[in-house]
Amino acid sequence: MTRFFSTCLLLFAAVCPSAALGSQTIPKATQPIAQRVVILKVDGLNADLLYRNMRQTDAATGKSILPWFTHIFAQGGAVFENFYTRGISLSAPSWSILDTGRHTVIRGNVEWDRFTGYAYDYLNFFPFYLSYARSHQVDMPGVQVLDRAGIPLLIDAFPYSQRYQSFQLYQRGARWTTLKNVLARRFSSEVLIPMLENAGTPSLDEILAQQTEKELLANLRGAQILYLDDYTGNMDHEGHAINDPAALLDDLRRLDSLAGRIWTGIQSSPLAARTIFVVVSDHGMNNVPEVHSEAFSLPDLLTSPAAGAHHVMLNRHELSDYKIRGLNPLVKRAFVSSTASFYLASQAERYPTAWLDLDGNERASVSFRNSDLNKIHILLLQLSSRELTPKVRLAATTYLVSLIDKHRSQWSETASQLDEEMQALEVAIEQRKALLAPKPAKWTREQEAQGEDKISRRQAEELSNWQREHEEYRTYAAHLRALLTLHPDPTRPFSGKISEFVPEMSLGDSNTLYDLQHYAAGPGASGLVLDSSGHLDEEQSFRYVNYFPLFAAQRVRNNPQPALSSKPIDFTALRLPPNDIATQTYWLYASDDDQLLIHADSAGNVSLQPVSHLVQAADGSIQFTPEAWHSGLPLHLFEDPELKIPAGGDRAAWLFATHSEREWLEATHLCKYSDGVIGTTEELSPIAANVPGTPGLNPVLLRYERRRRELVQPDIEIFAADHWNFNVRNFNPGGNHGAFFRISTHSVWMIAGAGIPTQVVSEPYDSLNFASTILQLAGRPVPMPDRIVNVMNPSPAAP
Amino acid sequence: MRVGPQFIVVLGIITAGLCRAADVPARSTTIAVAESNQFAYYWKAEPVAHTAQLLTLFCRGCGSVSAPDAPTGSAADVPLVAVLRDTLGDSDAENDRVTDVWLLGYANPGIGKKLLSAVPFFYWHPGGGSKSGSKDNPKPLFDLTAPQHSVLSEVGRDLVQWTAFDPMIMPVRATTRAYRANSLDDERLHLDTAISYLRSAPSSNDGAAPTRKELDIVIARLELRKKLLGGLVNQKRAAQLGQESGFEQERIRSRNWELLRQCAEKTGLVFQSLDLAGTEGEYGMLWFPTNQATPMTSTDLKPIWKILNISDPWNDPKLAKMRAQYVWAFDTKDSNVPAPGIIGQQQALVPLAVYSLSYPKTPLLLVDFRDQIHVRGHEMLQRSINEVTAGVIGISHFTNWYYYVAAGLYDFVSSRHGGAVDQAARLDAYSRLRVALALDRQLDPELRKSMEVRLRNVSINPLEAAPGREMRNASVRYTRLQEEAGAEGHLAHIVDQQRRAEIASFGESGGHRGWDTLLHTMTLGLYRNRAPRSPDNLAKLNIYRRVEYELAFLDKLAEAGTEPEVSYDPQLIHASVEQLASLMPEISASSVRTHAVDTLRKLKDISQSSDLQADCSAAIASLINEPALHRNSPTRGIVAETIVAESGK
Repeated sequence: MTRFFSTCLLLFAAVCPSAALGSQTIPKATQPIAQRVVILKVDGLNADLLYRNMRQTDAATGKSILPWFTHIFAQGGAVFENFYTRGISLSAPSWSILDTGRHTVIRGNVEWDRFTGYAYDYLNFFPFYLSYARSHQVDMPGVQVLDRAGIPLLIDAFPYSQRYQSFQLYQRGARWTTLKNVLARRFSSEVLIPMLENAGTPSLDEILAQQTEKELLANLRGAQILYLDDYTGNMDHEGHAINDPAALLDDLRRLDSLAGRIWTGIQSSPLAARTIFVVVSDHGMNNVPEVHSEAFSLPDLLTSPAAGAHHVMLNRHELSDYKIRGLNPLVKRAFVSSTASFYLASQAERYPTAWLDLDGNERASVSFRNSDLNKIHILLLQLSSRELTPKVRLAATTYLVSLIDKHRSQWSETASQLDEEMQALEVAIEQRKALLAPKPAKWTREQEAQGEDKISRRQAEELSNWQREHEEYRTYAAHLRALLTLHPDPTRPFSGKISEFVPEMSLGDSNTLYDLQHYAAGPGASGLVLDSSGHLDEEQSFRYVNYFPLFAAQRVRNNPQPALSSKPIDFTALRLPPNDIATQTYWLYASDDDQLLIHADSAGNVSLQPVSHLVQAADGSIQFTPEAWHSGLPLHLFEDPELKIPAGGDRAAWLFATHSEREWLEATHLCKYSDGVIGTTEELSPIAANVPGTPGLNPVLLRYERRRRELVQPDIEIFAADHWNFNVRNFNPGGNHGAFFRISTHSVWMIAGAGIPTQVVSEPYDSLNFASTILQLAGRPVPMPDRIVNVMNPSPAAP
Repeated sequence: MRVGPQFIVVLGIITAGLCRAADVPARSTTIAVAESNQFAYYWKAEPVAHTAQLLTLFCRGCGSVSAPDAPTGSAADVPLVAVLRDTLGDSDAENDRVTDVWLLGYANPGIGKKLLSAVPFFYWHPGGGSKSGSKDNPKPLFDLTAPQHSVLSEVGRDLVQWTAFDPMIMPVRATTRAYRANSLDDERLHLDTAISYLRSAPSSNDGAAPTRKELDIVIARLELRKKLLGGLVNQKRAAQLGQESGFEQERIRSRNWELLRQCAEKTGLVFQSLDLAGTEGEYGMLWFPTNQATPMTSTDLKPIWKILNISDPWNDPKLAKMRAQYVWAFDTKDSNVPAPGIIGQQQALVPLAVYSLSYPKTPLLLVDFRDQIHVRGHEMLQRSINEVTAGVIGISHFTNWYYYVAAGLYDFVSSRHGGAVDQAARLDAYSRLRVALALDRQLDPELRKSMEVRLRNVSINPLEAAPGREMRNASVRYTRLQEEAGAEGHLAHIVDQQRRAEIASFGESGGHRGWDTLLHTMTLGLYRNRAPRSPDNLAKLNIYRRVEYELAFLDKLAEAGTEPEVSYDPQLIHASVEQLASLMPEISASSVRTHAVDTLRKLKDISQSSDLQADCSAAIASLINEPALHRNSPTRGIVAETIVAESGK
């Protein structure tokens, strides 16, 4: 069947082929091409799904199934056929890159501060609305984090009075007028009559979407607002719930109509000729008809004795639809208690030792309490007992002191640095208090129009956060100092309060690879045991878990679908400590025999190395066996037929060689794991380098801000096998995302208007190209000039 | 009278001959079969008085092997649902209307059953149901041409109950309430049975089956019939609801499927996705693996057993004594996927429970193999509470609202813990499994029989008939419908009445229609506003329906508020405007003419095509300047005039 859209694409590809969009050749535009930017932000819209349907012709209409997308972008704009999420394909990290144009400092949908247990819950809107209503909060948590890191949003390139932002993850402020109108519509006849008829009433989300669209179209009619966006999460919700192509198409059609209405509004606006209209999505979705996505419960695994019988902390309740407390929208911490806990029975809410980000769908992050902190806790419990023999007590005390000595230097440094940072914070707090003291009782309309009231509230909120953090980090530092001065009497039972030495709701320092391969999960089966020389037998006195083979060995018995492997975990990943081979090295573990090292140098060049049996010794040295390229390695690049290497080239040789990031993207973007290599380097890279800090920030406070970001980095990232997910709060039987699968990372980016030539951009790009390109078109400051894609002057394609 | 295939063939030949003489396109004259290999269901289309079609949904091989019309050695096909489609005798789908739906297995309960259903606290159903040899014309389950009629009649019944019976002495109140509850449940049971069949039915645009849109509308109307004011929903919204309800059903099913699978995984049980009677994964079954150690768990499983609504089988000594054991061969990948033909690990299993996955929010336990009275006891308790409170004590929603608030709160808490508190939705789920088991021929016969026996126990409605009896009734009633499909038959009479009512109501205001409905209800259905019989009726109706079709199409474009040429081929829009303009002179109803002018103006405003703008301007000018002709001129494509004239001879 002849497809109208594909004909158009081919035609345009022949006549005005896509540019060789090498980022290094693109100068910054001297003249802005667009005066106004309108962005339709679609959460979770898979590019394959959209483009496939755009190419279909509807026999009933004689046009494309999605006529407006086809009309606006395929026939009159630029369609980026190969646009990918950079890093993991989750909403919070993905939107953070799209909305800033910079490397991400947000790497999960929820992040936990290891020292304080503070939860950065980026997806939960309810606390934001509530706090906003109480004048306590002005921005969504993601925006707060970016502000503190000194990373501006794309929207910040436009003055407050020139922007209209819809409700979204990275939201600055909320408009009460919008919410008020939504409530008014909730009780209007358009809702009440269908309610009486039992004909289904529009949800609040739908009414909010209608109201937002109405306001956006109204703002388009004027010339004052130069930045407008409309965010929708419907595709994401539907994609998670269902795999039925008809249902997904139904949502796509609604989206297409919305694009048509916005485009119509733009065309009839006074800035029509100087407006660009952009559609972008943050990630794809692993929707395959007839295949249910199945969930594997990590809390069940981690609470089991085999995995250490942890008490697990989540940001939402498990099976929250089946609990009264699941209704609480303000929940930040939920606990899964292990009935098999080896030494912390009934203390789940004080000492959860495994913290999870489960909103990751195909990816979960796990942070474990520091293994040596576990040992200290176990030893203090044992030393509290009166039943220890003097010899064992002496040996245990000696071992405890040696453990503290092992960390003495690091803890002393942490404590002194925290003290220094808290002192700097105290100064900042006082300055902020002084700044906020003359706050006017009532803001004038002019001040509100300029956003001055929100700036003031933002500053007040930051002050409140500083005060909370000051208290929390001071408490943590006090625990460190208490530990450093701990000298238990080896002749009598320990009588101190353990919680004064081992902080509650804290994980302590990050675990090393050695720790994770040799994790102390509880006392040994026979309690504390002495070796032949009378010292504590370290191996016998504690239970240990090696998490990497444990995760790899997981199997699901109830897996009725032949399309799914009974092995739910694909691979685990973490960053190795600095070494001589590369600036950074990342380790991907599928099994003892199938492991991959990703080396990245400071210039951004990347090489891969297959290895096996990688271990870290107690002294920190790492050993592994180099391997030849073979199938079955993480990311499966060697056996992937879509790997594009130079003609006649040897796969193994090419994969062994060092290549630029661009070369990796071009070679791998069509593979099953399109984003695996670059995504790993983005997700696991040291985060401090990505935190520039606000201009003029005190260096001590900059170090503090970088520390806060480092503290939310998990110990291990776990990636699910195809069609598996880790959701335990509710279910995502439709599709999922989060991993590096092409279907999960393949996103939408289309631009039209302001004279942008019609073109199909087939070169691969990722989210880091988005904001710089849009801001360059709008003649605004560009965050990363080397990431601009030149859509105005497509160069001739190679024959 | 039994109708054999020979009769159908002869009837087909005769009607084909008659219609060829009348220049009727082939669709409505021949017996056509629309089916797809992927479906166990197919449609058979038969003509009704040459101007309509009887479309009957069959389940292939779902009948008894011993049925008289069964092919040797295999099961017979069973007719399930019939719909009447008024085509006006042409092959153009634009002026078609689906008017009536029959659930062929459903027979009006006998007087004995009705009397028993009025006895409070009587929860048994003696006998198998109405005999299949009824000579009466089968009554449609639902008249789609007047969905609003049922609203007023239901409201009227409720008012009579509240104002007349409830204030009377307790026996009257309890009896009338028991009867009303049972009859409502019985109606809902059959509505949902029909919906269940129609959701599995194929659709097509070739005239041999309902189109997707027609099916969506029928399903939506039947769904809305379950709601008190559902009949007031307009046709456009109904079509949308039909599609959306299908999506919602799939969302619920997917979610419950995964929840049940996860519960099985947590508890060490074996989950099986059941495909019954052509459905896929609408039911789930849990099995207990014998000879396996109790699974180690480090979290509290009480909430999971609560969601599953069964007791912990690992602590059940009865399980070891249970007789029915099945041995499955599993594949060698540690999974519980049954792998026939693979010599892998063998596992003896005992069936534990069957769940419906279509109940909102949680899998609904319908069959508990260990406890025959568990589910039934729950149903009886719920009904008893209702009968005691509303029937015996006389607690009222108005004066004793606090009781209902408290009950609602209890239900809410219970549902938050996985309890299935929605009695109506439970009934829907029960009705679907009931018919699925009756039609299924894939399940192990012994297992199916065991499930049927237990499921039958769940029913507490004396009006309910046995599924086997309903299957037998279906064939008889289908034959009756076939017999009544002739020009002088009952179906033709129904079609004629509905057409005249449609003509009479065309262009009527909402208030006028409401008045008609009120009169219809107050006269217990005797009054219905209809146009007089006339040879011109068919042609007139054809024009009316075409005007409605074109207006609906152009309204859709106008309401979008965007350039119509982008969404639709301009030729299609041009043709529609032209067609509307050519038809409007025949329309005298001022509301319709105003509607047409408004729509054309909106279209003209949003169009960027000068051609289309010119078309709209011309059409508007002709509508404003030229009065209606008030004449009933024949229209091309309408051939029924000949037939009407012939029948009038």
